[in-house]
Amino acid sequence: MDGVSYTVSKGEFFALLGPNGAGKTTLVRMLLGFSRCTAGSITIDGLLAGRSESRKKVGYLAELHRIPPYLSGAEYLMRHAAFCGLSDSRAKKEVGEILERVGMNGSEKKKASQYSKGMTQRMGLGAALLGNPELLVLDEPVSGLDPTGIRDVRVILEEFKKRGKTIVLNSHLLSEVEKLCDTVAIMNKGRIEIKDSLSHIVHANETLEDVFFRYLEDKNS
Amino acid sequence: MNNLIRISVITIKDQMRQKSFYLLLAMAVVFILLIRGCYQGNYSVNGRQVESVSVAWHVSLLVFHFIAASMLLMASMLSMGMFSRDRDDGAMVIFLSRSVDRWQYVLGRIAGIWIFTTTIMFILHLAIFLIVLANTGGMITGYLTASLLCSFNLLFAIVLTCFLSLFLPNVMAAIFTLGIIGISFLSDGAYQAMQSELIRQMISGENHASFWRILFPKVYMFQHYASTLITNNAFDCMSPTYVWGNIVFYSGALFAALLWCFYRSEI
Repeated sequence: MDGVSYTVSKGEFFALLGPNGAGKTTLVRMLLGFSRCTAGSITIDGLLAGRSESRKKVGYLAELHRIPPYLSGAEYLMRHAAFCGLSDSRAKKEVGEILERVGMNGSEKKKASQYSKGMTQRMGLGAALLGNPELLVLDEPVSGLDPTGIRDVRVILEEFKKRGKTIVLNSHLLSEVEKLCDTVAIMNKGRIEIKDSLSHIVHANETLEDVFFRYLEDKNS
Repeated sequence: MNNLIRISVITIKDQMRQKSFYLLLAMAVVFILLIRGCYQGNYSVNGRQVESVSVAWHVSLLVFHFIAASMLLMASMLSMGMFSRDRDDGAMVIFLSRSVDRWQYVLGRIAGIWIFTTTIMFILHLAIFLIVLANTGGMITGYLTASLLCSFNLLFAIVLTCFLSLFLPNVMAAIFTLGIIGISFLSDGAYQAMQSELIRQMISGENHASFWRILFPKVYMFQHYASTLITNNAFDCMSPTYVWGNIVFYSGALFAALLWCFYRSEI
């Protein structure tokens, strides 16, 4: 990261774009404290990012998300729920609702080793939604999902946004980003090169994809 | 429930899901059944019948050391892949993406394995204790207390393996730990043997423990000290407080170093 400075407002749907190696995942990991900032700081709702107090407000879906193979989907979600501070009865109720929302009802008793990549991703999204977090940090949430899965995720995120929650999304799927996001930042070599609202970046008769590739071509030339 | 307790409970549950746990359980049952036979035989030396209580007592002491030493091996095996496995299968993210501090995660995982191995060791010692009680009607006083004392050695083995596994491949971390424990057994075992009257008579001159041997982790000495609770012999090799302090100090220092390194590592 180099001189990255930005603010995401409450209720904003913020997308990070950029070529591979731009630093998007590193930036997302810094929000959780998985990677360390050598200088500067990140705050979430006034709390230093990476601290356990700030993580209470965050739901996180990692890139290449994995579930321990010996756990069933339900056990995995219950484990997450326990660390969200939910009581047993509340956790069971919320896990049931989440399973419904991510379309995994009926598969929750299967071991994670039997899940397809798409199912694992849905479970991961479900885990991120547990505990009703204020901020959802998603690193490639639709990776491995079929078109139905991608649409389902979009619906879930739209619902989440409607409830006034904040979303930071890191995705290569520009068409989905365009449908969902308010603000877009394009990163390259650890720096945020462009950050603006979608309406300012994408002009009439063009798509976010056009803007993104034009940006890359400009950089390369 | 506190995060620390919750992680410890999860660790114990996770260990009990592993196939290796069932293999271990089967081996322990077979071992107990085989040992049981030793208490039921009639022994004679030079044609004279040996008192069964005496045989039971000596076998139990031998088995006490065997179980305590085997559990050191098991503790190292269980802890060697803990962090790397958690990293690879996503278990670490479950804890650390939520309101769990890194120290809670590390301490909870270590405490879980410590409780797990201590319980298994205690159950095995308890089984021997009960077999002796059933076969001879006599109780080996101090046997179970000695078992609990040996759990500090397990803690040392677990913390050392976890610490080394941050830098070394898992198997190497376990081998290195067992190497250190092995050196402790050889050096202190030899030193203890040299303190015996027989050897003293054979070797002329004073026999002082060298400085490195005094500072080296006292795994064997601690186990030997625990066994004196069974034999009621005096522990005159070293101060028991020093031996206990040595193991606790090394476990504490290694845990501090482990935390320091873990806080600086990427998840």
